[in-house]
Amino acid sequence: MKTSKTVFAGIGVLAAASLALTGCTAAAEAPAEDEITIAFVMGAESDPFFQAMKVGAEEEAAAQGVTLVWQGDPKNYSAETQIPIVDAVLAEQPTALVLIPTDPTALQPSVDKALAAGVIVANVDTHVDDLSKVLTFITGDNGDGGAKAADAIAEQIGYTDGESYEVVVGLTSPTATTNVGRLDGFTAQVESKYPGISIVDVAYSESDPEKAATNVSNWLTKFPGLDGIFAIDGTNASGAAAALESKGLVGSVALVGYDAYPDNVAKIKSGIFTALIAQDPAAEARLAIKSIVEYIKTGKTSTAAEVVIPNVTLSGSTSDADFEKYTYVAN
Amino acid sequence: MTDSHLAQSARSARLQQLTQLATNQSTILVGVMILLTIVFSSLEPKFLSALTANNILTDWGSVALIAVGQTFVIISGGIDLSVGATIGLSGVVSAWTMANVLGVDQTIKGGEASGALLIGTLVSVAVGVLVGLTNAFLINRFKIVPFIATLSTMGAALGFSVIISKGAPIGSASNFALISAIDPKVNPFSWAVIVVIIVVVIVGLFLHKSRFGLYTYAIGSNSFAARAAGINVERHLTKVYVLSGALAGLAGMYVYLRLGAGSPSSGTGRELDAIAAVVIGGASLMGGVGRMLGTVLGALILFTVQSGLIMIGVAPDWKKVVVAVLIAAAVAVQTLQSKNRRTA
Repeated sequence: MKTSKTVFAGIGVLAAASLALTGCTAAAEAPAEDEITIAFVMGAESDPFFQAMKVGAEEEAAAQGVTLVWQGDPKNYSAETQIPIVDAVLAEQPTALVLIPTDPTALQPSVDKALAAGVIVANVDTHVDDLSKVLTFITGDNGDGGAKAADAIAEQIGYTDGESYEVVVGLTSPTATTNVGRLDGFTAQVESKYPGISIVDVAYSESDPEKAATNVSNWLTKFPGLDGIFAIDGTNASGAAAALESKGLVGSVALVGYDAYPDNVAKIKSGIFTALIAQDPAAEARLAIKSIVEYIKTGKTSTAAEVVIPNVTLSGSTSDADFEKYTYVAN
Repeated sequence: MTDSHLAQSARSARLQQLTQLATNQSTILVGVMILLTIVFSSLEPKFLSALTANNILTDWGSVALIAVGQTFVIISGGIDLSVGATIGLSGVVSAWTMANVLGVDQTIKGGEASGALLIGTLVSVAVGVLVGLTNAFLINRFKIVPFIATLSTMGAALGFSVIISKGAPIGSASNFALISAIDPKVNPFSWAVIVVIIVVVIVGLFLHKSRFGLYTYAIGSNSFAARAAGINVERHLTKVYVLSGALAGLAGMYVYLRLGAGSPSSGTGRELDAIAAVVIGGASLMGGVGRMLGTVLGALILFTVQSGLIMIGVAPDWKKVVVAVLIAAAVAVQTLQSKNRRTA
């Protein structure tokens, strides 16, 4: 653990003060261990997924008695805006860094820099290229989530072998590893189990639901017989739902979304979404912080190098208790 | 006496020249539109349909509103970077008000939603006006250049929209009939787009036929001369930024109608679309030059390219390249035209 001169001096003053106040000598060395600061740099504050993650992170930080520094771009899920934020956070010399890298390659130098400075690094949700020195990588099972989406679409369209079906996939960015993982899982499941389904196009929304709606509107014109849409994240789900409503096609095109935004969960009940694949971002954050604190205190962690937390399918038949459990809530 | 007379006739000749140039720009833009339509529909026959026209017009609506406001700002010699973020903020505040103050949830749809949506529209425009007033205050009171002043309000608007919405889209009343094509097979216009067109025409007449418009050109050409001529530059700029903000607020409600929810990530980067539309439309970022028709066509071209690329199945990243080429071409055409005139 590195401490700057000012922080060191600050701790010294605090220690001296507590000594003077309590007259207890044992207090002198305690602060060094208690001052655990975990910097948590996420993708985009405006994403309910990260809001739900924040709830989990704050709960666990309070439970473990560590200081949490929550940072990230307010809106843009992009490496250009994330790199300077990581640099600024590292300048504060935290004990550990939990990072959701917005790009596996672009954020690698920032992670290397942190490791070189003795900061413990964990990745959540997405990961950097080189995980060899990262304490743990905790993620939702994006591949499995993609496969579950394929199953939900196939069920809704009444898939039968020998028939042919057209589906499209709305993504946010071509590089986000979560997007890639879900698309790979979806594609693999379609190819192995539903060969009659062809993925006829993909497009990117750049985190703007209006652009997602634009993509879907144009697809509905280009593919008049479109059978299904896989909206790969919450933004795409919102945009796709709006496009179907404005074209009067609710129910005639299967729509499977990702992420349990409260507004979208309500749309399962009204039949706009066939299903939503939900993750458990709060659980990911809790595990990351727990593992780091365990590692600092004991020098090792029981958490595996890579932990996969399964996704769940929310649909019309999901129980109210599960809806409540998996809907992304903010503080 | 003769000197000032000469100067005046020189000025009116120059004004005529500028008008001509702008008209040429519009002619070129119509040519570009036709060319794009021919190219896209020969590659994908379905492109030439009322459905595609509806897709393009629906996208055009929100950006047209902020581009029209941006035209005033740019002609006045300024820039307004806050309009994209204002779309997000006004949509979120409007949705929040409908959901929490009026207690209207997303089950209220269609005609039933009219009252709530009307109040939502007023709230949305009020938010835009507030952002515009803030911009004007920073620019006039503290003499902050418009680029920096509106960049900071953009940041603040982004932050507030995330704080108020807690990051998630807020769903409330919706009426998708307003944003859908009136008759998808034949009539690509929606009621929302018709409202946008009416607003654009009124604001366009305001620019080209009123004293307000004339003052805007005068300030953009030479703010010292405008001041010397007795124009209250500060007060006029306040009106210009408030207009831009109000139109961004209206665009926020348009996007709300489109999504049936107020989302904090709506409007991301739309200010650049608006600025691109204004520049492609023939305005100069130096101020004093620009036509409303050019802006409107510029915005239409942006979304024709976007729809066309999706329809022919080309990676959407190419849109950025095409737009970049169009901007460069538009500026090059302007430079060439004015050079030709000067040497002629």
